[in-house]
Amino acid sequence: MNNDARLCISRLEKYYNERHVLSIGRLALVPGRIVHLTGRNGAGKTTLLKILAGLESPDHCDVLLDRCSRPWRAVRQQLRRNVVYLHQHPYMFDNTVADNLGYGLRVTGVPRARRRQAVAMMLERMELEHAAQRNARTLSGGEQQRLALGRAWLLQPRVLLLDEPTANMDTGFRQQTWTLLQEMLSDALAIMVSSHELSESECPDCLNLHLQDGRLNAAPPSLHLVGQERSRPQEVLGVKP
Amino acid sequence: MDALLQPTQEAFHLLLTGDTDLWTIIGISFRVSLKAILFATPFALLLAFLLAYVSFPGRRLLLSVFETLMALPAVVVGLLIYLLLSRNGPLGDLRLLFTQTAMVIGQIVLCFPLLVAMGYAAIRSADRRAWETALTLGAGRPRAMLTLIHEVRLGLLVAVIAGFGRIISEIGTSMMVGGNIAGHTRNIPTAIALETSKGHFAEGIALGIVLVTLAFGLNLILNLLQHREAQAA
Repeated sequence: MNNDARLCISRLEKYYNERHVLSIGRLALVPGRIVHLTGRNGAGKTTLLKILAGLESPDHCDVLLDRCSRPWRAVRQQLRRNVVYLHQHPYMFDNTVADNLGYGLRVTGVPRARRRQAVAMMLERMELEHAAQRNARTLSGGEQQRLALGRAWLLQPRVLLLDEPTANMDTGFRQQTWTLLQEMLSDALAIMVSSHELSESECPDCLNLHLQDGRLNAAPPSLHLVGQERSRPQEVLGVKP
Repeated sequence: MDALLQPTQEAFHLLLTGDTDLWTIIGISFRVSLKAILFATPFALLLAFLLAYVSFPGRRLLLSVFETLMALPAVVVGLLIYLLLSRNGPLGDLRLLFTQTAMVIGQIVLCFPLLVAMGYAAIRSADRRAWETALTLGAGRPRAMLTLIHEVRLGLLVAVIAGFGRIISEIGTSMMVGGNIAGHTRNIPTAIALETSKGHFAEGIALGIVLVTLAFGLNLILNLLQHREAQAA
């Protein structure tokens, strides 16, 4: 069923000083779908996302990428190449907006001419042309988020992970973020968004998962009333319905 | 008062008329100290980065050692290098004692701990997200390290300037391993000591003016940089 999964992990275990913080049997991210990961503060959402992005090491984890299952350590570089992780407050390099947008292309060796073209296109797409030569740190919160999304999008990752992108944001910004994510979603991209708020009204099509005591469950029934039929979390978790 | 006034007037005269001996001494000082700082900086910053971002056994201890070495007296460094480079020392065959190279080595040893400790503090002050963002956007570790260095460049520049300030004005090492040979290893601090002991105060004051002006200029740059950084934060 999940052979087309962009990223699939199984038997993930993570300890912090003897404390068992994550124990996940199976999780698959499917292209064209947004997974909405909920959980209280400290439930391990950030740790899970960083492990998926190849930024934090698990104690055990098998990763299925390109139909080949290997230990996390062996595919860390591949994870970093294919998965982009966005911090809750995205980090802006002390540089211009255009330089920030083009960072990923520059470090992955995309030639200057193609980079310029891509950056110009993304500046327009993210409505940041007016600020192209400004220092990215002078942008407003919403603009910084658009920049971070554009910076990730330019790399055409297979998986995009967003850590609480809508926390502390007013409704307008939240809507903007969700709209952008829907635009970015395609047959080639899987997205996972975490949030400590248990509202799903902003993304009725999302697949809802809930992280509690280090375990991943289908979101409580009260939470996926809207998407229940469409989203079948059991598939993603590898549980027989 | 005349004892100070007259030599000071002469000192300015020497400086402004471009006295060859004086400017040779100044040139040697700058050449030696710039070589030392340029050679020490890349290695020290690499080490500072490893201390800040890679955990290995003995990391804390190594850091404490460098922090302690920051206060290492220059004469002690001079003594150790003298023993290493002297005819009967383990590196005696290199025939480096009383050369500019020996002075450069001494000054590298002097500024290295300071560069490591201050570089470490600057790199630690960088936002952890900078490192993670660089990696997740596809940068390899070396590239991510350069990005991080760019992010904390002001703090690192402060470290380099402080390191340069320490070695341009030190006398102990230069005197012991350089030997204060005129036109060859005589730099500003050793020349001041010598001229003063000979009663040639004008030369001493002229060189003193150069050092004080330099110290003032470096501190001014440091202050401006720190002010800019504080504003940016």
